[in-house]
Amino acid sequence: MKIGVISFAHMHAFSYTKALLQIDGVELAGIADTDAERGAKYAEYFGTTYYPDYRELLAQGIDGVIVTSENARHKEHTLAAAKAGVHVLCEKPLSTNIADAQEMIEACKASGVLLQTAFPVRYNSTVIRAKQLVDDGALGRILAMKGTNRGRNPGGWFIDPALSGGGAVIDHTVHVADIMRWISGAEVKDVYAEVGHLISEKPIDDCGMLTMEFENGVFATLDCSWSRNKEYPTWGDVTLEIIGSQGTISVNATSQKLHVYTDESGYRHHAWGDSMDAELIRDFISAISSGAAEASVTGEDGLHALAVAVAAYRSSEQGRTVTMQELD
Amino acid sequence: MIRVLVIGAGTMGRAHASAYAVMPGVKLVGIADIQADKASGLAAKWSTRAFPSFEEAVQELGLAGIDVIDICLPTPLHKEYVVKSADAGKHVICEKPIARSAEDAAFMIRYCREKGVRLFVGHVLRFFPEYVKAKALLDQGSIGKPAVIRAGRGGGYPIGWNDWYSDFSASGGVTLDAMIHDFDYLRWCFGEVERVYAKGLHGRHQAQLDYALVTLRFRSGVIAHVEGTWAHEGFSMHFEIAGTKGVIDYDSRTDTPIVYKSRRRSETVPGVIVPESPLAQSPYYRELAHFMSCIQDGSDPLVTAEDALEALRIALAALSSMSSGQPVLIDADSGALVGAHSYRGVMS
Repeated sequence: MKIGVISFAHMHAFSYTKALLQIDGVELAGIADTDAERGAKYAEYFGTTYYPDYRELLAQGIDGVIVTSENARHKEHTLAAAKAGVHVLCEKPLSTNIADAQEMIEACKASGVLLQTAFPVRYNSTVIRAKQLVDDGALGRILAMKGTNRGRNPGGWFIDPALSGGGAVIDHTVHVADIMRWISGAEVKDVYAEVGHLISEKPIDDCGMLTMEFENGVFATLDCSWSRNKEYPTWGDVTLEIIGSQGTISVNATSQKLHVYTDESGYRHHAWGDSMDAELIRDFISAISSGAAEASVTGEDGLHALAVAVAAYRSSEQGRTVTMQELD
Repeated sequence: MIRVLVIGAGTMGRAHASAYAVMPGVKLVGIADIQADKASGLAAKWSTRAFPSFEEAVQELGLAGIDVIDICLPTPLHKEYVVKSADAGKHVICEKPIARSAEDAAFMIRYCREKGVRLFVGHVLRFFPEYVKAKALLDQGSIGKPAVIRAGRGGGYPIGWNDWYSDFSASGGVTLDAMIHDFDYLRWCFGEVERVYAKGLHGRHQAQLDYALVTLRFRSGVIAHVEGTWAHEGFSMHFEIAGTKGVIDYDSRTDTPIVYKSRRRSETVPGVIVPESPLAQSPYYRELAHFMSCIQDGSDPLVTAEDALEALRIALAALSSMSSGQPVLIDADSGALVGAHSYRGVMS
């Protein structure tokens, strides 16, 4: 099976590509990147061909492509892949706006190719265990959830809204919004958000606090702020507290870690848990090879999570609760 | 010597009595509780007198034998007993929350002022050294400008006298009873709150569970998230302050200096785990000693009754947001009550 990668703009491209190479029968067909220096560098590192034009990569008879370009370019790359009959794994957020995401979903459907949204947290062993406990009825009925996905401000194109679609809210809402939907089995009904530019020097939303109400009456909050400073011992976190009628679950998806103290870099966490990126890539490959009708995490999943971020921005602008229906 | 009468021999009454009992310059003259056995048990422990009611205590001790009345009763009784204490011409210490409604709280503040007695409200979090230290670091600029704050507290569902916590109209649930600590602390650190958005279990779930998530937006732009839970096992509290140059965090679940685990089977639960944070002076002692010194020298307390009213208004705004599903603005002209008075020290 031949897989290509479009753009190393998003740093996940590195771990995804590494994961690809570990799978038997998968050939890395090439890396396309508009940034020639970056593209050539990673093509050399991974021992593959560099393509300045992604269309050339798509013309190599490849089976699937990983789209890890800037958020605003996901649509162009996904539509081109669909047209070439190539299955797509698209980095989150699926797009910068709902209309583009819908177009991507429809194009992939029309061409009969898979569109998978890259939500690695779905493949985190701890999160999977939490989902299992909930499905086994350990919590009774879910009543409320409290999540965080905090991190460092990544800088670069992430803080250029023309390329990213926004800051912390669009970057960090989607992971946990997706997990909350997955675990509760319910869709978000409405969203309220306090959004702020409080930390970075450059103007970008770097602080966000969302409150969501789900269709089944569950409520939840999500802190998506880029609130980790550079000396914080780790990049950030994914946590989820689930309150049920019969118990509670506290998930800290990155707490499988060592506490390391060195004179060179101070105090740092070093993770030792399973690689969720590797599981994500394996799942995409197996969906292609098994001829699955749908990816296990679909474009629609990506759209639902993106819509929560879009609603959060609108709520913050208008100072009120925004229903998901209003976004249609 | 300041002579203190404690009303209520529940959890707070016990905490306050144990502080007064060892406080220099203070005499615990009695403990009143309508549950006479509770009053006498606690009184015996601290070698003071027990009374079956407020009235009997005042009558027996005589007005001249009491300087301060400390009200450690359920929230719905605060107003009645603050009024009684003020009528007796005694300074009042009242447990938090000051009242269930802003009207009652404002009335109590006005009433005490008119009667010429002082009113202190037990927002003890301002005397917990971990919270005090965090504010000091913040004020020193250690983490730059504050941006996103997370705080919270809770544990199991509280069981009080007559199960009064379950009566939402009396207790206001976890939001008004417990989270008000965080609201006061956050207001102390970050100034006035502009708007509040909140969700809670009240009205959604009938069992003895409460859980609330409240977002505060301060006038400064700071965003704070507060969690209140009566849906977990074992009390804990936590905060995290993220600023432009760093993060301060604390969690009583992980920052625990001593934990006792018994292998002995008690009548109730086997293997009880009891975490503690031992201090030479408990936060309650620090708080009450501070109030005593304010009474002695007439100085303003670190936390005023007006602050207690403002914390209550935040909690009420949260409850109102839970009902409406929309953000609730805290109006800016609520400062009318603040700072319009001064007291002379009566003990000098």
